Amino acid sequence: MVDLNVFTTTTIYASVLALLSLGITLIYMTTRVFNFAHPRLSLVAAYAAATFMAIYARSAHLKPNLEPAETSIGYVTVPFPASFYLVGVVAATVFGVVAALVEYYAILKPLLRRGADYLKLMIATLAYDFILMAVLFLYNTHRAVKSALSNPLRLTPTSLSMTAYDVSIVTEGGTFIAGMFIFSAALAVALAAALYLLLYRTTLGVKMRASIENPPLAEVLGINVERIYAIAWILSGATAGLAGYIMLFATSAGSLKPISATSPADEIVVSAFAGSIVGGVNSIFGSIAGGLLIGYAETYVTQLLQAITGYPEMFQYARVVSMAIVALTLLFAPSGLAGLLRSPRARRLLSRIPVPGRARGGGR
Amino acid sequence: MEEPIIVVDKVNAGYEKLQTLFDVSLEIPRGKITVIVGPNGAGKSTLLKTLFGLTKVYSGRITFEGRDITRLPPHERAKLGMAFIFQLNNVFAELTVKENLRLAGHDLPASVLEERIREVFETFPRLRERLDQKAGTMSGGERQMLAMAIGMIRKPKVFLIDEPTAGLAPKLAREVLENVRKLNEQGYTIVLVEQNVKAGLEIGDKGVLVVSGRIAFDGPAAELLARKDLAKMYLGIS
Ligand SMILES: Nc1ncnc2c1ncn2[C@@H]1O[C@H](COP(=O)(O)OP(=O)(O)OP(=O)(O)O)[C@@H](O)[C@H]1O
Ligand SMILES: [Mg+2]
Repeated sequence: MVDLNVFTTTTIYASVLALLSLGITLIYMTTRVFNFAHPRLSLVAAYAAATFMAIYARSAHLKPNLEPAETSIGYVTVPFPASFYLVGVVAATVFGVVAALVEYYAILKPLLRRGADYLKLMIATLAYDFILMAVLFLYNTHRAVKSALSNPLRLTPTSLSMTAYDVSIVTEGGTFIAGMFIFSAALAVALAAALYLLLYRTTLGVKMRASIENPPLAEVLGINVERIYAIAWILSGATAGLAGYIMLFATSAGSLKPISATSPADEIVVSAFAGSIVGGVNSIFGSIAGGLLIGYAETYVTQLLQAITGYPEMFQYARVVSMAIVALTLLFAPSGLAGLLRSPRARRLLSRIPVPGRARGGGR
Repeated sequence: MEEPIIVVDKVNAGYEKLQTLFDVSLEIPRGKITVIVGPNGAGKSTLLKTLFGLTKVYSGRITFEGRDITRLPPHERAKLGMAFIFQLNNVFAELTVKENLRLAGHDLPASVLEERIREVFETFPRLRERLDQKAGTMSGGERQMLAMAIGMIRKPKVFLIDEPTAGLAPKLAREVLENVRKLNEQGYTIVLVEQNVKAGLEIGDKGVLVVSGRIAFDGPAAELLARKDLAKMYLGIS
């Protein structure tokens, strides 16, 4: 029996993981480093979004309207006008991008120029993670921030949550649907589609694929590979920002908790990397699939184990499930979901599906 | 005599902390074929890469048409009219032939690009049949053709070509060198690193011998070909 409420919260969580895994993979494919600071970018974005929404609500004299309105689809609660949410989305995206670009330009690129190896870069991302954490600590304990966030949104900066201000629908049958469920699921689908179009239908996309596959060859053909990588960082920062925005509104969902300088970045980092690895590390679409897989597995596999063992505290072990999936992936399918699709057997199966207009590749 | 197109002046270069080129001075004459030969690991590829800014230059100066390019990033050199055909991985295996060609001419106006692609097909008709094939699935010879075609799309002033015949059957190898000669007849300046010393120097105007990261000979190709002492010692031919 699938509980609809569990399904929607899990979907929100899985979408957040898909966004984060995608950002981690994008950076790994271009800059060749695991960015351990990645989930923290989401927290920076979440604080920025909350702050700007609070300032906007105050200056526009908005008061949350928590009265449900009766409509044809059920009771719909829209606490704030669309512009309020738009301010949040824009602020989260912009700050996610800025935090990512600072990491690339101020920290990693100078190190790369000095010939730093993979290990030094990785340690540097950890250092940046700590720096951001410290900055967020200073930020969320500052008096001005406290007062800005408390009026009129009544937010506590050390445990930020805007779940109460999410759009929601209660259907005739009494089913509760969070606005973030629709937003996050639509975002994951739209993003996958947009990325496909970008990578396979635009010149910039071909340049990105080329710069990833063979950077020196791209360079000698006149492509500024560093700039292409900066675009990857922008995409990575933007998706981290959007993930942060979702976390802000979905803090009760699945494994998401109220946002503070540490939580949930320190916990979700494991699952986000798991998604990236299970997806194949070198596949953009694999990372989205990997993130979703880990997100759903953490909930449903633990549920299953709970049902089998009868042990009620099984949900505590959600991350053990994702680590087990990572271990299995590394053992049996090291190139992840993407690698499975590229395997000869999968190719044979796929080649049976007729695709009009596509010339058959492969040998003669 | 005409100004050389590239001038290398006392260059020391290598990979980060590993120096591989020592005090190299060299002139690349415009419109000619310069052939670089030398034993394995001598630094031939490194020399080509250094011309294109793909190594670290510790000291010295490189000019292209009189302009100092020592610190210019590779993608800027490409825009000045330099092309490089690598020894290995010289096409984008994950991209189709069409995408490879379009990418090579990414900064050309669309109409010019289509025209150039047509021109390339006249030289390499076999590529036209493989437009939607991934480059990685092509044969070695076809891949080498595509690599040349990628360079030609940009109509560069100078081609740096690294061992285009490596791993090809003798007949194909001759064909490839013949293509190089034809390119030169069309007016392109060529810098060619060639493993097959005799065949290479025969199509060359200028010959350069690199040994242990230093220039051991610099003069007419025919003269280098005739130097039995050098040939015996470094090139394994008698
Ligand atoms: N990317 C690199 N990083 C570090 N060292 C390198 C790199 N490429 C080449 N080298 C070293 O530089 C030296 C010169 O190599 P290079 O490839 O220029 O030789 P080559 O003359 O082209 O040889 P071959 O005939 O085998 O192609 C060698 O000792 C090689 O090990
Ligand atoms: Mg070489």
